[in-house]
Amino acid sequence: MFESIKEALRKVITAGYVDEKTIEALLSEIHNALIVGDVDVKLADELIKKIRERIKKEKTGVLSVREQVIRIVYEELSGLLGKETGEIKIEKKPFKILLVGLFGCGKTTTAGKIAKYYQKRGYKVCLLCLDTFRPAAYDQLKQIATKLNVAFFGDERERDPIKIIEKFRKEFNKYDIVIVDSAGRDALNSELIDEIKKIKSSLMPEETLLVIQADLGQMARMQASAFNDALKITGVIVTRMDGSAKGGGALSACAVTGAKVIFIGTGEHLEDLEQYDAKKFVSRLIGLGDLETLIQKIKESIEEEKAKEITEKVEKGKITLIDLYEQLESINKMGSISKIINMIPGLGMLNLPKELMDIQEERMKLYKYIMDSMTKEELENPDIINLDRIKRIAVGSGTSEEDVRELLSRYKQMKSLMKRISSGNLKKLMKQFRLPM
Amino acid sequence: MFEFLKKKLKDSISKISGTIKKSEKLEETSIEKIEEVPKQKFAEKDSKERVTLKEKISKVLFEKKLSENEFNEIFSEIKNDFLENNIAFEVVEKIRESLQNEIVNKNVKRGEEEKYVKKALKNAIEGVLIEGDLNLVINKVKENREKGTPTKFLFVGINGSGKTTTLAKFANWLKKNNFSSVFAASDTFRAASIEQLEKHAINLGIKVIKHQYGADPCAVAFDANEYAKTHRIDCVLIDTAGRQHVNKNLMEELKKIHRVIKPDFVIFVGDSLTGNDVVQQAKDFDKIVPIDFSILTKTDVDKKGGAVISVGYVTKKPILFLGTGQGYDDIKKFNKNEILEMLGLAS
Repeated sequence: MFESIKEALRKVITAGYVDEKTIEALLSEIHNALIVGDVDVKLADELIKKIRERIKKEKTGVLSVREQVIRIVYEELSGLLGKETGEIKIEKKPFKILLVGLFGCGKTTTAGKIAKYYQKRGYKVCLLCLDTFRPAAYDQLKQIATKLNVAFFGDERERDPIKIIEKFRKEFNKYDIVIVDSAGRDALNSELIDEIKKIKSSLMPEETLLVIQADLGQMARMQASAFNDALKITGVIVTRMDGSAKGGGALSACAVTGAKVIFIGTGEHLEDLEQYDAKKFVSRLIGLGDLETLIQKIKESIEEEKAKEITEKVEKGKITLIDLYEQLESINKMGSISKIINMIPGLGMLNLPKELMDIQEERMKLYKYIMDSMTKEELENPDIINLDRIKRIAVGSGTSEEDVRELLSRYKQMKSLMKRISSGNLKKLMKQFRLPM
Repeated sequence: MFEFLKKKLKDSISKISGTIKKSEKLEETSIEKIEEVPKQKFAEKDSKERVTLKEKISKVLFEKKLSENEFNEIFSEIKNDFLENNIAFEVVEKIRESLQNEIVNKNVKRGEEEKYVKKALKNAIEGVLIEGDLNLVINKVKENREKGTPTKFLFVGINGSGKTTTLAKFANWLKKNNFSSVFAASDTFRAASIEQLEKHAINLGIKVIKHQYGADPCAVAFDANEYAKTHRIDCVLIDTAGRQHVNKNLMEELKKIHRVIKPDFVIFVGDSLTGNDVVQQAKDFDKIVPIDFSILTKTDVDKKGGAVISVGYVTKKPILFLGTGQGYDDIKKFNKNEILEMLGLAS
């Protein structure tokens, strides 16, 4: 969805002049992109109308027409995908979070991710399984709890979720946060909705979060509204944002119900959970970047001092192989290169060579071996690596000379990209729009 | 499924054809025909915009021909109906083409406009739905049994689409057809995926071949196949981990399973609630491990039904079953005519 919006915006940026025709072409492309992105058809129509009116009405002021157009599109898209940033404030003990959602939307995995998220932030967390229906739902949550080393409650033999709540109610008080996994259900099925209503009134959760998958289609609005009507959803988590669907349907459906999106799931591992911010999200997806999240990610995965160093280097465009190595070290915690690149302002917009984005974990491992075989001097100043050194490194790391050369050229690409961002006009543009930096 | 689309399509058909009829009836004054006019048409009468559109159409169709421009104008509304009912953008375009070829600039017989348009729409949709032939599967299993080799089914799809549940339902169906099966717990990644399969296995009385979590899924499938061979079991059902089609490494892993195991049938399990992305998912899986059949799940939750049409179109592969609930028997043979009937298009 956003690829084509990005492309359409790029056309406007690079167009010789911007007139009504250019704008109409942009709007029609955005409209199609929204539909392909599963945004509710009526919502998409309304949004386009609104953008068109605003472009006509609003004075450009200091901005050029083209900047004005981008700003309006950006603002309206952010509005469509959730106006405010949702946040959970843990104010009570025990703080109970109930997860509800359709079949197979990723509730159980998400329960584990939330547990990890708060565990990392120093809370005492436990997991409670109320999915008494799906085979092995109990085992799944239990295994996740064991992996995370957090407490787990559940009863494999009990069919009635209410009884399970009663059984463990006293235990909850020992924990800061209780994360509750419920069975998947269809919000339009009154029997299943009655059950979850009863669970809710017995549990009395502080937060009732709707888990919804990013690739959900035109049913999104109906389901989100039905869940909201029945349970008064306090927040939303959109899962599987790492696929090719970017949650247009899910996000816009939730925006309509007024529920705020709090987290997005971005991978199959338990650390793949991000706080959601519509503005940052949109700016990252349409190629305007999101340094803030990147910096936060770096902070989470490496020590603070190093994070500062790296951030400075990223901003100045000075990066050595050592930095690349350290990044690789923590890469598993941070996610894929392409994810990171999309967070750097402007990089997403630059239309990077696909190969650069596709460096996969396998390749990463290889690079690590190669760098392990380099001397400190070589790492700090890769320019000294000549043919003899390449030969030695290849033998030492058990790779081929080609691999070593490939790493060096990747490094050079990366370095020149960094220079381009730090010196480029995009940064100025970003400031004008007061985009997250 | 199709609860909304059925009504919308009816509207659309009458939009294209109904008005013409009316203008002709004035000439022919046939009472019979007035009764045939769909109810929706009267509800629309107030709308000024539509009246002018109708006038336009009737004028043109008086000569029994619809120009391309007029068709496009009308189709833009049908298009929205399709999109709202979760048919992928790409697929709607395909239907448009097919509809256009059948309607634009063609001579239509007097008084048969509705029938004509209905037929054109039916053809357009019918063209994208392919029914899976269960006998093909049954015959293959029988044939392999005579040769003494098990038939291997590989189940693939993204996370949470319902692979494991579908696999259990499929085993139940095989059992009803007097075929034995063994499960290969090749999802060695997701927590409790093995236990989930084992529980289904106990309920259905089927053996599970499993390794540890984190083991090579390919090796599990291989062992299951060996087990089936030595124990003369008819079918090996391989459950794989759900994976995002854009995850290169996981798709490579799937490719490896496919290469080593050489399944007789690859079954793509798709979630009928998925939006436009289902197109990309089906395409990408098909590229990596050529799909033989699709099974669409959760159709009991889906009120719109568009994904079924999209998947059929994109993969050009038959749809075997629809998942319709949480029990083992909640699986229904995909029936093209039933779908057309649901859409109000069956003749």
